[in-house]
Amino acid sequence: MAVPAATPPPARVPAQDAEPRSATPRGHLDRAREAERAGDDAGAVRWALAATDAGDDLAGWSAAAGIVARCLLRVTPLARRARVAVLGSYTTSQLSALLPVAAARAGVAVEVYECGYGQYRQEILDPSSGLYRFGPDVVVLAVHAGEAQLPAMSQDPDVDVAAEAARWTSLWDLLADRTGARVVQHLFAIPPDVALGHLAARTPGCRATMLAAVNAALGRAAGSRMALVDCDRLAAEVGKRRWFDARYWHQAKQAVSLGCVPLLARHTAAVLGAQLGASRKCLVLDLDNTLWGGVLGEEGLGGIALGDGPAGEAFTAFQDHILELKAKGVILAVCSKNNDADAREVFERHPAMRLRLDDIAMFSASWEDKPAQIRRIAATLGIGLDSLVFVDDNPAEREVVRQLAGEVDVIDLPPDPHGYVRALASYPFFETPALTTEDADRAAQYRARAQAAQLAATATSLADFHRSLAMVATVVPLDEVTLPRVAQLVAKTNQFNLTGRRRGQAELAALAADPAAAVLCVRLADQFADHGLVAVAIVSQDGDVLDIDTWLMSCRVIGRTLEDETAGLLVAEARRRGCRHLRGHHVSTAKNGLVADLYLRLGFTPVSDDGVPARQPDATTWLLDVNAAGSPPGLIQVLHADTQATRPGRELEGTIH
Amino acid sequence: MPDRLQQVFREIFSDDTLVITDETTAADIPAWDSLAHINLMFTIENEFEVEIPDDRLGSFATVGELRGYLEERTAVS
Repeated sequence: MAVPAATPPPARVPAQDAEPRSATPRGHLDRAREAERAGDDAGAVRWALAATDAGDDLAGWSAAAGIVARCLLRVTPLARRARVAVLGSYTTSQLSALLPVAAARAGVAVEVYECGYGQYRQEILDPSSGLYRFGPDVVVLAVHAGEAQLPAMSQDPDVDVAAEAARWTSLWDLLADRTGARVVQHLFAIPPDVALGHLAARTPGCRATMLAAVNAALGRAAGSRMALVDCDRLAAEVGKRRWFDARYWHQAKQAVSLGCVPLLARHTAAVLGAQLGASRKCLVLDLDNTLWGGVLGEEGLGGIALGDGPAGEAFTAFQDHILELKAKGVILAVCSKNNDADAREVFERHPAMRLRLDDIAMFSASWEDKPAQIRRIAATLGIGLDSLVFVDDNPAEREVVRQLAGEVDVIDLPPDPHGYVRALASYPFFETPALTTEDADRAAQYRARAQAAQLAATATSLADFHRSLAMVATVVPLDEVTLPRVAQLVAKTNQFNLTGRRRGQAELAALAADPAAAVLCVRLADQFADHGLVAVAIVSQDGDVLDIDTWLMSCRVIGRTLEDETAGLLVAEARRRGCRHLRGHHVSTAKNGLVADLYLRLGFTPVSDDGVPARQPDATTWLLDVNAAGSPPGLIQVLHADTQATRPGRELEGTIH
Repeated sequence: MPDRLQQVFREIFSDDTLVITDETTAADIPAWDSLAHINLMFTIENEFEVEIPDDRLGSFATVGELRGYLEERTAVS
């Protein structure tokens, strides 16, 4: 199929372009050092982090860690910060030393506290320990199989496994009670040296078999309030003969070979980052030689390699893997230099295509340069560039995206398509804290958002457009069903987030139970999609003032007037409680500039003397007289779920307004 | 050979200006503690493809002794 003459010539970037960046840790480190010497701190950090992506060796990571430690403070601060306590059962000094650079790569600036050697239990049990004085946001339990209290052979493996699992879950419970910290548990990497040999596989009382059972039990017990790092999988991936190094264990109590600590740090940081909402949300896919073999504009629909033959199977396997990512909530987008209709035709007509147009939330195929296409994808989906991950077989396209859209993560595909799945599977920053029903439906919601954005272009006025969407907001209670989703929103929402406070599940549940507080949860649906639970506000009563502690909204529904309706609900809640004023706060973060003027727009007046400590110079406080508050625009129908029985006296009971 | 060893030191201590001589000892480099020592030994073993026996791991009083040991080992192998 030839490219129709009417279209601009395909200005393809030559694949062999330029010297491919010396994509080695050493090459990147050299550039990081040059940048540091030249006083370019941002460049030094960027190259040092690239060096950690490119390799897993201890020396390279140590060098990168030093550069990041020196330069990171002088560059634009990361949006997320966390105090991280590493509690270990072995020598965790190397892990603790590398965690800051790994976390910076994951988008979180961390300060690390490391407990004394093997003191994890004492630190948790002793309420006056350094752990609690440190006040961690995250506790990493970095423990190894030797620490498991299991015999070499058990007469009653069920009891022993349950007891060992309970020993850990009771530590989790204690941490949950005494701190609001999230817990990241390293599951046991199971040593390969098993005296029973293959008999172990049918012997539940064998220690190796019991270790696997404890891992499984901890996985079941963890639910969504905990994060796990599957060290046994990591060890298997690099090879257990590498992971376990008896010499360094006996010499220096290194339970994880020093050559594997960088890998462990990277995955710990990815899981920790996901807990704090730093994981990436959207995978942006090239088409030619990425999703299928060959160039569509040259080979035509019948000529591309897909499905049949070894090369075709490699691309099919890659598409299957991408679908698995989508199933866990990753949004998919296409960014291709192709004629739009031709590219879509492959999705609609090629019998071996696994991905369908339905799977793609935003389809961009044109002759525009890829950085520009990618920016439009991000804008249309309403997410930041730093939520995107780009895959392309063409090194020159990868490079131009790196240079012109630096916040986008770029995955280097190997030249051979058989290696694509491994390259994508090794990318660690699609970690998600929990699977919720919202995750599974998210792609449909983003696709609906993109359709709605196109409808907006044709509607005569914005109000008409909003009415045409037939939006319905439903206020639902915070309960065991909604809690995981609410916690996820609190953890992940960056743009429409007034205070950036990241309350965990335990805190949220406590607030919901407190009569002086309320957690308002709102779902939104329209004619295109059910967007799910998308807005959360937490208020607490302070005399005749109702204080808005937290207010956030998913970026999927920004620009729908839902914030105005939510403000109306807050006014109603204040009136119900007999409060005269509603008080809001805006705490500036790197990403919430969107809502800097929200309170002004809603008719609040700024308060100068608000008692906010000076360490929050970017915080402003606002007041609204609830009796003078105007009515919301009414472009969304607002309903209340049938649970008012537990909340007597609410004036809005059952009303639709 | 001297360059490779110096490179290892510079990376482990993340100090691009570090210059080691045969007389350098742990006392000369403030960050050279027991942890850094283990990191150094591990990295040197990988870089020079040698396995330093247990009784030698902690025995090198100066960089010169370490270098001598490595020259001897890598010359033989």
